Amino acid sequence: MDKKKVALALGIMSAILTYGICVQIKTINSTNSSYSTSSTVNSLRDEVLRYKERYDNKYEELEKAEEELEKERESTTGNNDELTKLEEQIKEGNKLLGLTEVTGEGVIVTLKDSTSPTLNSVIDTSQLVVHDMDVLSVINELKNAGAEAISINDQRLVSTSAIVCDGNVIQINGQKVGAPFEIKAIGLSEQLAALSRPGGYLSVLQEYGIGTEIVKSKNVTIPKYAGSINYKYVKSK
Amino acid sequence: MVIRKKGKIVMSISIGVSCFVLAMVMFMQFKVVNQTDITSIENMRESELRAELSNWKEKYEDVNARNEEVTKTLQEYRDKEKSDNETSKLLQKELEQINVELGKTDVEGEGITITLKETQNNDTAITADDLLVIVNALKLAGAEAISINEERIINISDIVEINNSFVKINGQRILSPYVIKAIGPQVYLESSLLGSGGYVDELKSYGYEVSIEKGSRININKYEDEIKSKYMQ
Repeated sequence: MDKKKVALALGIMSAILTYGICVQIKTINSTNSSYSTSSTVNSLRDEVLRYKERYDNKYEELEKAEEELEKERESTTGNNDELTKLEEQIKEGNKLLGLTEVTGEGVIVTLKDSTSPTLNSVIDTSQLVVHDMDVLSVINELKNAGAEAISINDQRLVSTSAIVCDGNVIQINGQKVGAPFEIKAIGLSEQLAALSRPGGYLSVLQEYGIGTEIVKSKNVTIPKYAGSINYKYVKSK
Repeated sequence: MVIRKKGKIVMSISIGVSCFVLAMVMFMQFKVVNQTDITSIENMRESELRAELSNWKEKYEDVNARNEEVTKTLQEYRDKEKSDNETSKLLQKELEQINVELGKTDVEGEGITITLKETQNNDTAITADDLLVIVNALKLAGAEAISINEERIINISDIVEINNSFVKINGQRILSPYVIKAIGPQVYLESSLLGSGGYVDELKSYGYEVSIEKGSRININKYEDEIKSKYMQ
């Protein structure tokens, strides 16, 4: 009798452990983070880091130069009204382009992948994660509601920003960002918050179990675009 | 008998301990897997790394070019005699470039023109979402200026469907056929929409009439309204 009990307990334990190990192997397989230690991959990784560092240094240099330029502009315009007006227009233009950090009233929208994938196994699992199209649609609705500045996980959207799916993550401004997505928008907060109205895009996402949250705030800060606008093809007429 | 019992106790304790240790290890691993940041470069495969490398190279070159430009402008301000006339010219030059980047000027350059039209075989119309996807693909391919039926797409432009009957861009009503113009690298612009996964080919497969034309001088009109910043400081 005693032996049977022990055997049963042991059996259950090993079953649980085996299950745990199986789950882990599956998880690791699906994250495909094959820690490839081959030399090509390592040297590639080094090169990426090197370029990233070069970029960071150059960007810092650019920021300094821009700051100096602004000071120079201010000092040369002096007390001349006409020149000061031009200088202010330049400042305003840079703000509209997304090249400065801005603050104002607005909303913060959070989108999370669904947490209950086993709830309804009939649903295609790809419908449970936040897609690039979902983010694109939410952004479009915010623009429609009069958003003046928008960022996604602190990536400022400028006129050339694209949003694309890249495996398990989304790429914005060439930068990878993963869920949860925090979308900040500056504008009339009442109007922006209408995103959560019945029949709006957020309610559609909610039907798929995607976690959505929208918070109004008097003080939303959106960082500047971490890059440079550099047109090569467009020519002024 | 006593020894047997003692042995049993030792055994169950040791099994208990080893189970406990195993469970701990498992939890630790779960935590590691959870914390693995799929956006960090430590976890990228070779192809991802290559894409990442070209991405940073491009960003570096952009910033480098911009830096040279800013430094040059700065030098110009310093070199000029402090006459108001000269300064005014410099300011106007800068302002002009900003206005080009904002979409407040008519522009031209190499690019493509896409024409989309429903045919009699179609049950459904082309939607605002279709246009949104195409605009996004063009931006990804490096489009610097885009317009749909002469409505310039700027940073804050929206493309929405009204009552499932027509499309509004920048608050203006847009009707089919849709003529999408984009200025940028022709080859990339075109290839971003064609082939497998290309949205134009997908629209073609639904029976819509789609054509893409390359041009060396595409004209795109300016954004007509004022761009406001009422809420952001």
